Amino acid sequence: MKKHHNNPDSCTACTVCIANCPVTAATRKFRGPKMVGPTLERMRLSQDDIEPSLEYCSNCKNCDMSCPSGVPISTLNMLARAKYFKNRKRSLRDWILSHGEKMAKLSAATPGMANFGMKMSRGILKKIGISDKAPLPAYASKSFSKLFKNLKQTSYPDKVVFYPGCFINYNDPQVGMDFVAVMQANKLEVIVEEGFVCCGSPLVVNGFLDEAEENAKQNVQILKKWTDKGYPIITCCTSCGLMLKQEYQELFHIEGVAEYAKHLYDADEFLLDLHDQGRLNTNFGTLNEKYMYHAPCHLRAQGMGLPGVELLALIPGLDVQDADAGCCGISGNYGFKDDKYDISMEIGSGLFKTIKESGRDTVVSECGTCRLQIGHGANVKTLHPLTLVRKSYEAYHK
Amino acid sequence: MQKTTVVVIGGGATGVGILRDLCMRGVDAILLEQQDLAYGTSSRYHGLLHSGGRYAVKDAEAGKECIEENTILRKIGRHCVEQTEGFFARTHLDDEAFEGKWVEACAKVGIPTIPISVEEALRLEPNLSPKIKSVYRVPDAAIDGFRMVWQNVASARKYGGRVLTYTTVVGIEHSNNQVVGIKVRNTLTGEVSNIACDFIVSAAGSWAGEIAALAGINVNVQPDRGTLIAFNHRITSRIVNRLRPASDGDIFVPHGSITILGTTSASVNKPDDTVPNAKEVVELLNIGEALFEDIRSYRMLRAFAGTRPLYSADPNATGRGASRGFVTLDHAHDGLKGFVSVVGGKFTTYRLMAEKVTDLVCGYLNVKTPCRTAVENLVEDTSPALMAKARLYFPAYGAELAASRLGSEGLEKVIARIQEKPEKRQLLCECENVTMAEVEEAAADSTSYMISDVRRKTRMGMGTCQGAFCTFRSVGAVDANGLSWGKDTNVLFKEFLQGRWKGIRPILWGNVMREMELTRGIYEGTLNINGAIDNEGI
Repeated sequence: MKKHHNNPDSCTACTVCIANCPVTAATRKFRGPKMVGPTLERMRLSQDDIEPSLEYCSNCKNCDMSCPSGVPISTLNMLARAKYFKNRKRSLRDWILSHGEKMAKLSAATPGMANFGMKMSRGILKKIGISDKAPLPAYASKSFSKLFKNLKQTSYPDKVVFYPGCFINYNDPQVGMDFVAVMQANKLEVIVEEGFVCCGSPLVVNGFLDEAEENAKQNVQILKKWTDKGYPIITCCTSCGLMLKQEYQELFHIEGVAEYAKHLYDADEFLLDLHDQGRLNTNFGTLNEKYMYHAPCHLRAQGMGLPGVELLALIPGLDVQDADAGCCGISGNYGFKDDKYDISMEIGSGLFKTIKESGRDTVVSECGTCRLQIGHGANVKTLHPLTLVRKSYEAYHK
Repeated sequence: MQKTTVVVIGGGATGVGILRDLCMRGVDAILLEQQDLAYGTSSRYHGLLHSGGRYAVKDAEAGKECIEENTILRKIGRHCVEQTEGFFARTHLDDEAFEGKWVEACAKVGIPTIPISVEEALRLEPNLSPKIKSVYRVPDAAIDGFRMVWQNVASARKYGGRVLTYTTVVGIEHSNNQVVGIKVRNTLTGEVSNIACDFIVSAAGSWAGEIAALAGINVNVQPDRGTLIAFNHRITSRIVNRLRPASDGDIFVPHGSITILGTTSASVNKPDDTVPNAKEVVELLNIGEALFEDIRSYRMLRAFAGTRPLYSADPNATGRGASRGFVTLDHAHDGLKGFVSVVGGKFTTYRLMAEKVTDLVCGYLNVKTPCRTAVENLVEDTSPALMAKARLYFPAYGAELAASRLGSEGLEKVIARIQEKPEKRQLLCECENVTMAEVEEAAADSTSYMISDVRRKTRMGMGTCQGAFCTFRSVGAVDANGLSWGKDTNVLFKEFLQGRWKGIRPILWGNVMREMELTRGIYEGTLNINGAIDNEGI
């Protein structure tokens, strides 16, 4: 039925979303998802005003997950934010944080210099509103797409399309390389399409909705092209996956999303599906290691359970414990902002405590920014689950 | 014994209009209302300030009166009128030949109609059915019945007007064929008393027949019941009328956060036959679908019904066949001097009706002061400085609404409450954005005796959750403030929840059902309201 504006009618004002909102729990500056989302949506349709606490929504989607009526609460907030910024100037801070892809391309020529410059300029970044304490990611010396181009894959008849996303491409390409290795171990050839652009998640949260829509249109066209040919699409970043699969449908009116979304998988989910079909390479070498696991909010929002935990349980010797301690607080670039840093750390404090008390020194999680925040907040090492899968495959052959 | 010159019966639009007009001309007057102000038809309608387009073809005189009064009210009543403008849209089901007649009739009485393309109409109102055939813009506006009545009273009070609510008329006192007083009963205390007066004006609407009967005079008012639906959000930002001869389910009116669809029309025997039923709701949805095809996906808040006071000298005329014009009956012709009934008419022309009646009364009283209700604003604009101050204390989307409900004086008082206790800034009614401070201020007003009285002044409880959360909060607030009428909290709970239930029962499916189960869980489960009420109660 959704036509031209989001319909707030399903909300019964039950307040379950408030009880499950990590931001509301951390600060009274946020009036809570029900109020800022569906309740004020009724007001926004009738008059113009500014709700100052709208900026505190982190789009973590715990409200959407907890809503018994299926209201896309956080999306109502993001749309309201976009409306708010329609005729207002955006801060340089928000521009920088939303345009990681552009920033990365600018720095790509000399990532070493860029990283050096960034370290030197944390004071300057602080001045524009980026916390000098936040765990900003460094640029990798070589992007995933560069590494991938130089990689010689074995060709197989079965192929998958990989959507790397900005974080893997520019900051953490090793995850992408691990992904390719795991696919190859399963006799699958990986295709990376050059035309993919940023999924738009960092743009949406800062109100750059029009730009996000442009990106969405481009990605949708490419994704649709490949799924029409029968290829599955795979992501290793849960926020990219959520955006491509679900948020595009809530935010925009682009034809074809619902069709390709059925063939879009999280990497762990995809491997588990292979296992269910008896096609997974289960030549796992023993890893006598202990890890904590953190489920990113944007993974949980996809309603697919915890495929990473199930997948890692197949590896002999491996002991992975689910922290089950809620949101880490970073929510993409939320925790990078100077005025949100403390809130972000407060949100993550429960998780950090659980991790520290476990005595385990490494945390496994699918989300790149969750890993940054956990490394920062709990002072531990972090890994993507696929890194362990690759390690286990390699251990088998040793 | 209280004394006054004129007693006005009926706290609806016409009555408060007359009270204001009399007081502005220096005539001492008391208004009596059997329930709360705007309890009757003046709040049980769609809240449309007609451009006159609806009447132009069939009743040119009514159409002309509407456009003239519409123009006046948009000016003097800008704090209860929302200048939304309106569309007349012809659907694929409607007779094309009527369109030409309608345009011509509107032009004749001076109602501006601007044709726009269907494409443009859909751009402006995206939820409209793309199947509509043609659209015209007209100067319709939305008018809030509660606020309009309150603002008239506030203005009358400034000129010395007095208002007695929950006061019902039990007798008309006369001597030598001349009115000398009125006998009234306070419906809350049962106390009966007399008010001495020279003149009685009955503006009792659908109840006008019953009032006249107290003096042995026959006034043939046929109550005509109209049922309406309130939707949870603004599905249109303009009024949308169906471009066809006036019929049921033709009008959608956006009001603040909601949209109202109306109405049905059916003759009834009793003026207070206002319990809506599911059959009427389904009929309205079926008709409304032609203008808004997704109508069934929009959540309804409640259904409500009111009775139009149709008057005819011909006792056989009913429904939309009866005239919507108004008539002033001077009962001197029936042998009783000092008694006038005003019957028929429409909300849009209330001021004009009041002016005519007041002219008549002033003629008898030999008062020569001219009418000024068309030129003096109902309430003064809130100063920019006060508005700026209000924005510091009210939550987002709350300051403007509160200012229009409260007026400057009330706004100052509510701000003072928040200044004294900042926690009073919190919302008691989240759906309609009403602060605890405003609820307390409304509860303390001399015309508040139950939570519904507070609701009518504030809109508390009229949004999405229909009292699920604000009932216990407001009962708590009344109890904590030690108000004289708030001693028996079980009675307060029951009165308010039953009032909400009346409008929810005929729409009890889908999300409304889910909402109601939540409400039932809170009040029957957690708070055990029914268990606490005396067994002799219901």
